[in-house]
Amino acid sequence: MSDVQVSDKRTVSVTINGHVYTAEVAPRVTLADFLRKECGLTGTHLGCEHGVCGACTIMLDGRTARACLMLAVQVDGCTITTVEGLARNGELNPLQQAFWDNHGLQCGFCTSGMLMCATEFLEQNPKPTGEEVREAISGNLCRCTGYASIVKSVLDAADRMAADEGAR
Amino acid sequence: MTIAEPVQNPSRYTGSPIRRTEDPRLLAGRGQYVDDVTVPKMIEAAVLRSPLAHARITGIDVSRARELPGVFDVLVGEELAAVAGPQPVIWTPITDQRIARTRALAVDRVRWVGQAVAAVAAVDRYVAEDALELIEVDYEPLPVVADLDAALAPDAPTLYDDWPDNVTGSQTYRAGEPEEAFDSADVVVSGSFTHGRAFGCPLEPRGCIVNWDAFENTLDLWLSTQSPNLARDLLSEVFGVPVHKIRVRTPNLGGGFGNKFDFYGEEVIAAVLSHRTGRPVKLIEDRSDSFVATSHSRDQRLDFEMALRRDGTIVGLRGVSYGVLGGAFGTVGSGPPWASVLTSMGPYKIPNLDLTVTPVLTNRAPYGSYRGWGAPKGNIVHERLIEFAARELGMDRTEIRRKNFVPPEEFPYFSGAAFTYDSGRYADCLDLALAKVQELGWPQQQERARAEGRSVGIGYSFHIEPSAYGPSRIMNLVGLAHSGFDEAVVRMDSVGKITIYSGQINMGQGTHTIYAQLAADTLGVPMDDIVVVTGDTDSCPYTGYGTGGSRAAPLGGAAILRASGRLRAKILRVAAELLEASADDLEIENGKISVKGAPGHSVSTRDVGDAAYRRLLDRLPENEMPTLEEVDVFDPPNMATSYGCTALLVEVDRGTGRVTLLDCVQAHDCGTVINPMLVDGQLAGGLAQALGGALLEELVYDEEAQLRTASFMDYLLPTALDIPPFHFVHQETPAPDIPGGIKGVGEAGTIAGVSLVASAIDDALSDLGVAVTRFPVTPPRLVELIRDAEQRKEGAQ
Amino acid sequence: MKPPAVGYARAGDVQEAVGLLAEHGTDSKVLAGGQSLVPLLSFRLARPSVLVDVNPIGDLAYIREDDGALVIGATTRQRDVELSPVVAEAVPMLPEALRHVGHVTNRNRGTVGGSVAHADSAAELPTVVTCLGGEIVVEGPRGRRTIAAEDYFTGTFTTATEYDELLTAVRFPRLPAGTGVAVEELARRHGDFAIVAAFAAVHLGPDGTVDLVRLGLSGVDSVPRRLHEAEAALLGTRPTAEAITAAAATAPNTIRPSSDVHAPAGYRREMAELLIRRAITTASERSEVTT
Repeated sequence: MSDVQVSDKRTVSVTINGHVYTAEVAPRVTLADFLRKECGLTGTHLGCEHGVCGACTIMLDGRTARACLMLAVQVDGCTITTVEGLARNGELNPLQQAFWDNHGLQCGFCTSGMLMCATEFLEQNPKPTGEEVREAISGNLCRCTGYASIVKSVLDAADRMAADEGAR
Repeated sequence: MTIAEPVQNPSRYTGSPIRRTEDPRLLAGRGQYVDDVTVPKMIEAAVLRSPLAHARITGIDVSRARELPGVFDVLVGEELAAVAGPQPVIWTPITDQRIARTRALAVDRVRWVGQAVAAVAAVDRYVAEDALELIEVDYEPLPVVADLDAALAPDAPTLYDDWPDNVTGSQTYRAGEPEEAFDSADVVVSGSFTHGRAFGCPLEPRGCIVNWDAFENTLDLWLSTQSPNLARDLLSEVFGVPVHKIRVRTPNLGGGFGNKFDFYGEEVIAAVLSHRTGRPVKLIEDRSDSFVATSHSRDQRLDFEMALRRDGTIVGLRGVSYGVLGGAFGTVGSGPPWASVLTSMGPYKIPNLDLTVTPVLTNRAPYGSYRGWGAPKGNIVHERLIEFAARELGMDRTEIRRKNFVPPEEFPYFSGAAFTYDSGRYADCLDLALAKVQELGWPQQQERARAEGRSVGIGYSFHIEPSAYGPSRIMNLVGLAHSGFDEAVVRMDSVGKITIYSGQINMGQGTHTIYAQLAADTLGVPMDDIVVVTGDTDSCPYTGYGTGGSRAAPLGGAAILRASGRLRAKILRVAAELLEASADDLEIENGKISVKGAPGHSVSTRDVGDAAYRRLLDRLPENEMPTLEEVDVFDPPNMATSYGCTALLVEVDRGTGRVTLLDCVQAHDCGTVINPMLVDGQLAGGLAQALGGALLEELVYDEEAQLRTASFMDYLLPTALDIPPFHFVHQETPAPDIPGGIKGVGEAGTIAGVSLVASAIDDALSDLGVAVTRFPVTPPRLVELIRDAEQRKEGAQ
Repeated sequence: MKPPAVGYARAGDVQEAVGLLAEHGTDSKVLAGGQSLVPLLSFRLARPSVLVDVNPIGDLAYIREDDGALVIGATTRQRDVELSPVVAEAVPMLPEALRHVGHVTNRNRGTVGGSVAHADSAAELPTVVTCLGGEIVVEGPRGRRTIAAEDYFTGTFTTATEYDELLTAVRFPRLPAGTGVAVEELARRHGDFAIVAAFAAVHLGPDGTVDLVRLGLSGVDSVPRRLHEAEAALLGTRPTAEAITAAAATAPNTIRPSSDVHAPAGYRREMAELLIRRAITTASERSEVTT
């Protein structure tokens, strides 16, 4: 007999956008459902629930992850940022601003995932080319824009962030 | 008519790339889509679907599902049929057509994989799905009609026992003397074109929350729909609940693309479950459901031929459009394949027509609306055939098009089958596209690539987009059991701010922004002073049809323009009283009403609001009705036909058959451009869908009519790496029949983009004489075309 | 698309994981990066009674060199491997191949061990380890076993791992300096599973002839394939177009592709030859003659 316990419910305590959420969850509950239903963070969207569309992309301990491909019980002790954590004090951040100015969204459903994906990408590649942006967001499906305006938004965001950096 | 020159718009907002009012909350993750909505006491449902394409249901045992803790109710077809009528079909354009009706849950027979058979309501979706697994259904398989050929076979099994075959009917549109034209033609080119099944596939699956209060007999819905008024009317039809007791609210829509225009069985199922449980029921279609439960579209074969004189003049077009329908009619019946026939002549003057539509049933999922409707396939007919003709005649592809365009002076132009095109400068638009292609240096790029042994091609497509659907009586005449007008309410309140109420839906196209732009310019107020309200049948006015048919901008816009114009007049009359001036001498700018030439002598909209709502004494003219509100209903006298010329640069890997899209140009005319940034967004998004449909997306059914592509691993939406950059250029030829001159733009890209890909591939492989006729052009299919062409070429040598 | 009810246990070390697997037998399933398993749960195509989460086993996330081999711990994230300078130097085929594995977000979570253990013959990593002649290390109640990759993959989604064993590491032989590598992947879209993917590593001796060659194909059989016949044909030759074409021409005879919704078997067979030819050509061009 293993001395490791198999549990039907587990307590999960996780820091999301700076707040600590603690809840009892069944192992089968996906992280995406946990965020949406337990935490009320409905900005993380469910477009496919099988890890292809990217709409549920979040930041987990500094890296993007698909919230539909994780179970809530796995994030105990982790730090998560969701789309709701990007804007501060009612102000959109430079990436969000760039999406607004460049019509980088239409219906807005893929946008949360796009923003999280682009956030990680720009951290790793602050001066990207258009082709690099296209590859970076190729795991996030958008059905509205035809992508051109999203690519433009991310490139514009890179410029703004570089300018902000320079100003410091 | 006279051709107006591009509008020089003096106004501030219209014509400017205003960023959208909708965006900040969406960007902040504060949007509210239907699955984000929870209502008190809500429970959640899931649907059991048929695993077989054609079978008799001989028994359903739901007892184990009922016993599962957390389950509130299990619903089967007979129970639903006791309280709900059949699913409505609103388009019946074909005379004496047989209509295959179904109910939201199958009763004794299933006719497609995924047809709803039973439903569960439970504490949450997890438990509801657990319960589905406990339902036992006994099926007795029936012979399957998997595709068009199987459906048309002389000994084909029939889907409906009382039908002689699977053909629903046929309708032919004739003009001129087609037989004579073909007999005397110098050249006849033909093609059998196939477009595979595809669907709009909005990234947000459909969903609803229904609360049917059995004691009040009221139905209260949150519904992800493009057509809340239609949904309300149809719910009333299905349940016999009067319309005034039904409320449909539409939160943010995560894309619609026509798929959310249609009226689905799930809203009926959720309603019945709500009635039975006394609880609001949420039923969200998950991605898995979506592949079998959201309307499919595009599936069509078009056997057409075009007759020409040696000089390239088209003299005739004839053919049959087979619509490969599913096992029952969807909301719009066989509308899309029918519309293909009506658009199959495109922008060309073709005096002799013989066009037939024949929709046929198969054991596939029901056919319905998808952005572009029938027009993308109509476009395949005229654009493929005209290129085949150019090849046959040794003419330039663009010159043969130019030669056959309806010239500007012949508008309004009756196409020969139902539509009258309102206005157009087709040759100018072609030239715009050609100039852009030159400017981008594509021909040189192509030349260089060819010198390196690479297969680079340039493709063209000229499309028309009948938009602003449509004059109500004409819509009724062509078989639509619904109207086409749009109603708007524009109200100024007691503090002088504006609220616009529209029956249109905001599904990502930015209607709130453009409505505010139009009203702000007309009223002379800042956009910030305007709020647009849509998505609630209790507070918003009626719109015919819904948000589809590229009608939100031209028809919604026209109604708002007209209502705003009248409201402006009333504001001026009230202000005239306040300023002791004549209304004719006043102007409004930035919310300030002043005497022309005397800007110091002014009142604000706030003063006017106060005078009309609160302190009327000596301020509101005696004969004026208090309040400031105008209603307008706009029913267009004709549709508005947008058009465009699209060009595409591709590279073909002859080894693998893989096609890479390098660059794309679209020259476009949608009349008055309200917001160029948003128009470009519409064009780009539509093109991406067409390019996906041309190369990647296909709902593949096997010989047992099992759907083989029911996940995002197999139904391939295009990614950012699959879509080329876009360059858009515009010309503005105002719509003569629409106030404001606005034409629709929502479907342009989807119409233009499919034949476009074929044109570019053909050009890349012009040395082989490849002619693409089947979509999507998958790598294996293209390799086969290349091999066949190589063999033909070798054989000929 | 909600997973069925399932038990969950976190394994703190390999021993705990193996104990749980032994206790729960074939009803248990190892949860690593979850990029393949969780969708199977959501489609209810997999319904284990217990998930043994090995992510907490910190000891299994490592990249190290050992006796001429690059050893990667099972729970090492694919993204870490992709970005590792050690990996780029020792087995440059790995980062090249990893760029075709899903997307960055998948690779952030997806593990090397998970991908190998899942044994999808259309995936990249199983073919890389197979064609390079690598080894799989598994641990169970009966101790540790090291299995040659070609013996490890036994069929569609099946491997030589016993139900109570855990894959703990994957060993890749170091490629000598100057080896040219190439990955030619034909997928419907970037990041999708391959219709066919070809992997080549070519090293040239001082005389410009091939003195080491490793060739593999994904998507053409029930298991990842190493192309021994083509390797033999190329070894000792100068990588001329003719030699490469001749070597690639042996590929179709050694594979058994099947048809699916994306491509018929015949097309896969044809592409196998074409892509391995392209991969060998590129790898040869990238190889540097070392003295």
